[in-house]
Amino acid sequence: MSGNRERWIARGLAAVALTLGLLAPLAGSPYRANHAAIDVPALARTVAREEDHVTALELAQWIKDRRAGLRVLDVRSPEEYERYHLPTAEHLALDSLTIVPFHADDTLVLYSEGGAHAAQAWVLLRALGYRNVYFLRGGLYEWLEQVMNPTLADTTAAGRDAFARAATLSRYFGGVPRSDIRTPPADESIALPGATRATSVVPLPTRTTSTRLDAIRRRGC
Amino acid sequence: MTAPYFELGYFGTRGALVAALVIGIAFGWCLESAGMGSARKLAGQFYLTDLTVFKVMFSAVVTAMLGLFWLGRIGVLDISRVYVPETYLVPQLVGGLLFGVGFALGGLCPGTSCVAAATGRLDGVALVFGMWCGVLGTGLLFPALARFYERTPRGVLTLPQVAHVPYGVAVFLVVLAALVGFMSAERIEARPRIGA
Repeated sequence: MSGNRERWIARGLAAVALTLGLLAPLAGSPYRANHAAIDVPALARTVAREEDHVTALELAQWIKDRRAGLRVLDVRSPEEYERYHLPTAEHLALDSLTIVPFHADDTLVLYSEGGAHAAQAWVLLRALGYRNVYFLRGGLYEWLEQVMNPTLADTTAAGRDAFARAATLSRYFGGVPRSDIRTPPADESIALPGATRATSVVPLPTRTTSTRLDAIRRRGC
Repeated sequence: MTAPYFELGYFGTRGALVAALVIGIAFGWCLESAGMGSARKLAGQFYLTDLTVFKVMFSAVVTAMLGLFWLGRIGVLDISRVYVPETYLVPQLVGGLLFGVGFALGGLCPGTSCVAAATGRLDGVALVFGMWCGVLGTGLLFPALARFYERTPRGVLTLPQVAHVPYGVAVFLVVLAALVGFMSAERIEARPRIGA
């Protein structure tokens, strides 16, 4: 009798599961975030006030200070992330944005190689309702130039002070600050710390920093 | 009030810990009621004589999946705020193999070893002690393991995303697989055994 009863309960539960499973394809997406809304004027104000991004040095200071709730998110490909990523960074695929949960109080900093993908991800995360979202303005290249390989460009007292602060941060992250003012040679490159010899340098064209970063931004990665 | 409550700030850490304790005890009670505290019962899985583990675990997966889908759909739960562990292919394959070897050797997995220990079984106590040593060792050696731990990252993956099908279709296919699996398991268990 008891065996019969259990069998009927099991069959009943199976029928409930099958019904709910059959209805599921007709029910649409369970993600509310798929239908996120953008407050366009508020977002435009944030961009105009330049409160949408951080500089590499600001981010370096946040990481060094172990800022509470900071999550550094790398939106490049998994292979690029594996080759080199910022300290404490997590990989985040752009198509996973709606299924990765972040705490409402987290400070989210996005970066890509140049900055465009990170800026696009910034808009999406803001549309999903996250408030404390920033992107790294010049992307990975800015990090490599300003944090890992800062160079003394301005010899005024203020310039030297700024360089000293950047150099302290740089050494904390294993970087190589350069105080010798010189024109970069044709094969100038930026070291990728912690990478193997074959992939340890990123060749950069012999142009000024701003032109170089502009070129990277135009590339849109 | 939308769930998950801790994620959305309705629970503090203390509230979350109390909830975790209550849910944990209920989970352990259910495991023990299903007979999962017995290494003999769990070992039966590997000999295809007792497929309770498969049935209990797969029915738990289906229940949780249907619950998440429908609660998300009716707006009680914000499913995007539910934590999905990131995939790191190679480290997780190696970890899965190690886990499987430990499961086959000890006859218990982490949850069931806690249940076995709580009911006074010595093999459960030994496995919990071993698990604790493993956790401690991994924690201490983590700086050396970190590079391996972060290899082959694939980000957050879900079945609908990997199979390129709508979420609801994935739900239906998993339910179907579970029901076919349960019926097959009943047949395998009911077949006559050699020497029985």
